[in-house]
Amino acid sequence: MSGPFERTVLWLTWRQLFARGRIYAAIAFTLLPAIFTLVFRFNATDQEGEILRFFVFLNQNLIIGTLLPLAAAVFGTTAFGGEVDDGTLVYLLVKPIARWRIVLSKYAVAALSTLAVVLPAMILPWLLLRGAEITGAMLQGFIWGSVLAAAIYCAIFLTLGISTKRALVFSLLYIIAFESVLSRQLEGVKALSVREWAVSASVAASHGALDIKTYLVPMSTVYWMAPIFFGVALILSLRRLSRYEVAERL
Amino acid sequence: MEAQSIVLRNVSRWYGNVVAVNDVSFTLAPGITGLLGPNGAGKSTILHMMSGLLHPSAGEILVSGVAPAGNPAIYNTLGLVPEREAVQPFLTGNEFVRMCARLHQLPDAAGAAAKAIKLVDLENAKDRKIATYSKGMRQRIKIAGALVHEPAVLLLDEPFNGMDPRQRLDMIDLLRTLGNEGAVIVISSHILEELHDFASNVLVMLSGRLAASGHFREIRKLMTDRPHTFTMRTSDDRRFAAALMGNSTVFGVELTDNGIVVRTSDRGAMTREIARLAKATDAQLREIRPTDESLESVFSYLVDR
Repeated sequence: MSGPFERTVLWLTWRQLFARGRIYAAIAFTLLPAIFTLVFRFNATDQEGEILRFFVFLNQNLIIGTLLPLAAAVFGTTAFGGEVDDGTLVYLLVKPIARWRIVLSKYAVAALSTLAVVLPAMILPWLLLRGAEITGAMLQGFIWGSVLAAAIYCAIFLTLGISTKRALVFSLLYIIAFESVLSRQLEGVKALSVREWAVSASVAASHGALDIKTYLVPMSTVYWMAPIFFGVALILSLRRLSRYEVAERL
Repeated sequence: MEAQSIVLRNVSRWYGNVVAVNDVSFTLAPGITGLLGPNGAGKSTILHMMSGLLHPSAGEILVSGVAPAGNPAIYNTLGLVPEREAVQPFLTGNEFVRMCARLHQLPDAAGAAAKAIKLVDLENAKDRKIATYSKGMRQRIKIAGALVHEPAVLLLDEPFNGMDPRQRLDMIDLLRTLGNEGAVIVISSHILEELHDFASNVLVMLSGRLAASGHFREIRKLMTDRPHTFTMRTSDDRRFAAALMGNSTVFGVELTDNGIVVRTSDRGAMTREIARLAKATDAQLREIRPTDESLESVFSYLVDR
């Protein structure tokens, strides 16, 4: 097959990511925000702006801040990590396929799988809350922010998956220590936080519908930082797989 | 089929201070070659270098005239059966072999997969998940995956692990046919008898070095004709030792605190002779044990001779 992706690698990675009950975990992830929304609706008072505050909190903190990086960590590290750990990567490496196509195919499936979990998790609560306060432009903003975050997180975690046996542990440490604690406490490091870029991108893509009061990373910074992170991570993955020697870890 | 070959010229591979393969050279022509040696001898490292999954630290490897490392096109004509048992457990056998066929861009992947599965006699289990396969079945499905594109060079790392005798014989027939058709086949093993009767050429590896090479029969003769050492205890060690010295196959007897240590050139004759001597000298045999039968010592002999 020509083009950047190898269809059989896409198929294999898809099967691999959703094997062994991971599909049920993904469904649970997807439904969690909707369940919270139902509980909220049941208990909501009529206070002005409460629904909007909940919708923004749900998307900014629970989905973009927690569910999305967790899903990206699982899918991104498993796309290669599982095969490296059990030695089945060798069946891909001894085939007449350029290694960069293996990297791009694995990356594409990890990113799309992350979005397959995250986008319904955003759309379902929006369907439950939409009205005068919660508009389609707000959802659109968060969707674009999520697409940006999924693209970059998966590139980073894919690299970790092929570089270390403890990729998931390092990914979780990165999410908790850097994305959840440091970048929220220190304004200086927000410019390096994928989560903060996603929030800025969400606001920008909502065309003014989202009014988030906290400090936002300027979009000019996001425009040049995001491609650098994305490109460097994918190049590192490619370099790692190109130089991968089977006896190192198989 | 175009004539294929594998050439290793002064190939070494090291990991930090550890030398896994040390200055190995050989040329393989079509037919079956056995790569023999104990665990850790460097067999898998050599197979991985031949298959392009490892770069040699020094020296040169050519598979059909091409350096395999960093050259994915080589896999159009090369198949590898790795030693590790792992195969994607969530796939069925048929899905795995079809996946291999599709990754080789074969025009009729389904047909090629069916043919390869038939070759390894797994048609009845092809729709079962690999997770449910026995060790021998996994070996066979791995072989089907490696054979699906009918490679001219086939590298198999300990392929008979877990196979029962009938499966093993079927596999040998299959490999022999492929070898006769002009494929270069390399099979690693740590058991000489596994290569019996079908490996036209045997390379013996020990501690990363090529210790011996030749036809199976020559290698076996070297191994069986080597000196053997027994330790034995009897009711009268001194008298029994004196009787042993009279035997023409014995070339050394030593009396120690633990009994008699006897060195012989003919293990079979010696075991028969011990019983006769015990009767003749009226000595009671209390213990007889071979003391140098570890695989390592057998291979060491080939290096030291």
